[in-house]
Amino acid sequence: MLNILVFGAVTSAVYAMLAVGFTLIFGVARVLNLAHGAFYGLGAYSCYLLTGRLGWPLLPAALVAVLFVAAFGVAMERFLVRPLRHSALAVLMITIAVALLFEQAMFLLFGSEARNVPAFINATWSYGELDVSGQRLLTLGAGIAIVALLWLFINRTRLGSAILALSQDREGALYMGIPADRIYAVVMAISAAIAAAAGVLTAPFLTVQPTMDLLPMIKAFSIVIVGGLGSIPGSILAALLLGYSETIVAYAISPAWTEIVSLVAVLLTLILRPAGLLGKRAAF
Amino acid sequence: MSALLEVSALSKRFSGLVAVNEVSFSIAPGEITGILGPNGAGKTTLFNLLTGFLPIDGGEVRFDGHNLAGLAPHRIVNRGLARTFQLCRPFSGMSAFENVMVGCLAPRVRHREAPETRAREILAAVGLAHRAETKVDVLPYGDLRRLEIARALATRPRLLLLDEPFAGLGSSEIEPLSALIRALHRSEGLTILLIEHRLREFMQLVSRVIAMDFGRIIAVATPEDIVRHPLVIEAYIGRAEDDTTGDVLGTA
Amino acid sequence: MGSRPWIFVSLILAALAALPVIVKSEYLLGILSVCFIYGIWAASWDFMSGLTGRENFGHALFIGAGAYTSAFLNARFALNPWWGLPAGAAMAVLLALVIGFPTLRLRGPYFALAMLAAATIMQRLTLIFWQYSGGEEGIPGLDPLLNSKIGIYYLCLAALVLTTAALLLLARSHGGLLLRGIRGDEAACQAAGIDVTFYKIAALVVSAACAGMGGVLYAHYQEAVTPDVFSVALSISLIIMVYVGGIGTIYGPAVGAILLALLPELLRGLGQYRLWAYSVVLIFILFFAPGGLVAPLWRRAVGLAR
Repeated sequence: MLNILVFGAVTSAVYAMLAVGFTLIFGVARVLNLAHGAFYGLGAYSCYLLTGRLGWPLLPAALVAVLFVAAFGVAMERFLVRPLRHSALAVLMITIAVALLFEQAMFLLFGSEARNVPAFINATWSYGELDVSGQRLLTLGAGIAIVALLWLFINRTRLGSAILALSQDREGALYMGIPADRIYAVVMAISAAIAAAAGVLTAPFLTVQPTMDLLPMIKAFSIVIVGGLGSIPGSILAALLLGYSETIVAYAISPAWTEIVSLVAVLLTLILRPAGLLGKRAAF
Repeated sequence: MSALLEVSALSKRFSGLVAVNEVSFSIAPGEITGILGPNGAGKTTLFNLLTGFLPIDGGEVRFDGHNLAGLAPHRIVNRGLARTFQLCRPFSGMSAFENVMVGCLAPRVRHREAPETRAREILAAVGLAHRAETKVDVLPYGDLRRLEIARALATRPRLLLLDEPFAGLGSSEIEPLSALIRALHRSEGLTILLIEHRLREFMQLVSRVIAMDFGRIIAVATPEDIVRHPLVIEAYIGRAEDDTTGDVLGTA
Repeated sequence: MGSRPWIFVSLILAALAALPVIVKSEYLLGILSVCFIYGIWAASWDFMSGLTGRENFGHALFIGAGAYTSAFLNARFALNPWWGLPAGAAMAVLLALVIGFPTLRLRGPYFALAMLAAATIMQRLTLIFWQYSGGEEGIPGLDPLLNSKIGIYYLCLAALVLTTAALLLLARSHGGLLLRGIRGDEAACQAAGIDVTFYKIAALVVSAACAGMGGVLYAHYQEAVTPDVFSVALSISLIIMVYVGGIGTIYGPAVGAILLALLPELLRGLGQYRLWAYSVVLIFILFFAPGGLVAPLWRRAVGLAR
């Protein structure tokens, strides 16, 4: 029981981190960033490069990795996405191209075997029948903190209000003098940074290999569909729902069946309530 | 003679804001009626409700005796109620002829006569025969307006809703378009309901004006009488930022 | 249209038909057969998404549905593989209806996402239910449709030509005009009395049927079927091929697919960098040649320049 509670929470936290950035950039800039998984992977690999190959201490390496990916995201938005904004399909395709290039690049640079990234906390906690690694708990705490910070930022700061305005009515926001392009850059940086942070935090206990961007990407957009495209509270809610459902299924039936949970959730959502749990009405 | 269009207590709310408030009126066949009102009065929302582009929150719309509740826009068009849009919406990448062809392929008219023949006839009727093969992306705005009307006409409507047909046109283009609307009214046997927020264009075209403000009907009268109506004057003069009051009311 | 395009087309088809006589390499014929199948898939994608503008990110769903249905019927029930063609198409059409109905009514990226999700879901399902689908290894040992490589070459070529011709005819018909109108402005189409949802679903069904049949051809050419046939990589590769060919032209994507599918073979050792090469091509096209390469070149060649 306690196992489910804690591991469910960890899973939900990771999913929330992945989904929130993805839904944010869609809600604000209407970009379906299929390179989001690549941000996650790039975060993990950058951390690996700095610690494993260059021998950096862990904390600076993690911070630099996150900053690097944020910058990478901003550059991608500025040079690859912005010139193609006139065509939604072109934007989608370019983000896919980035994701593909990421996979190939990682494969070329680091080979296809899984890599090791050291954990921040090596201890393990035990409580009754619960055995959870410190790293997982850290991930949970960091996930909650990051999402809370993001929520505060959007709702309590001027920049956050500008972001909200832009996501609700682009033209209206432009009339009010809100610099759309600069906001897109900021949002992309935040989105990429959170994904990278998730990559850095989970790398010690999940795999680090060139194809690591695919599953998180699928999870992220599953959660975002279920929660509602463009809705941060929706993503958080869906992350909790799916995170806990998967953990319960893993314990009650078998880990192999966890896949089915999110897949069924996505299918049901698209057929019954396509706008998602907290999304706006999707029809004409 | 029974009404072609009967609107009873029609209402529409947008989370707290009442855009259309218990609007009732009826249109007799063969009339040209105008809906007048300042920006934000609810005129286009009314059109969207009548044509099925927005769901109705309250009240009823009867067209030719049939209730239109819950029908999809294309079904309403196929009953004989067509509309144009305030901002022209041509099918980009296609020629004027192809644009009108789409309307000619509506189930209502598709098998009556060859779509291509009808498309050419309509283009000629609106004065765009010479632009038939031109891509709409390079057409001047005045021609796009005519194309909008042509596409709506293609579906053989009995009632045509024109949303600000004169918006965005230069002064030299307004009178020809007005003449065209009058000509089509006669030749196609149309009943017309049009929105404008400038009265001058109305004066010659319409026989009756329905004035709206804040989602309600505030007056119904002939064009001559509507400018003298106290509520209408208040609606326009009450707007400090609307500089065109004198222009609107045909005075100044 | 004049006779020049017909002359060109006839020459090209004649050359392709004569190829097996001139070049005796079964290996090359096999590769070209696969390229023709890619052409069918790309042309079918273009018919739906190129014409209506509603992007389909999971075309592999229809391909895999066709392939696995036929494989299953052939391997488990020893059904003649020729029956797999209508069966595979039917399964693809069924999926098209199931997904198309709820999602094509809506605005926004729901259709695109649903297709992407569905193809990925199918891929995971083949792995989860490995007792029926053969899991990672798939279903091997399928019967070929014809017993000679040359026969299969002509079969695939004929299928490509017939499919492309049929889709082109449909695209040039009244229905195709409406699809392009939908791409232009759906609301305006509705205002012109057109039931846009019906036409979108109809286009998807046609697209799915063709893709499914292509999938069947592919499965019986390989004489095996694996979960790769549902992969995102395949769906994306097809879109890239369509871009190279010229989106919305139908024939452009067919040719573009043949060229791009041929590319990894021509450049030896490119095999595993295939996706990388495609990505670079894609970026180039998106920025410098959004109208594609094949269609504009063809129009120049036959003097149809506008």
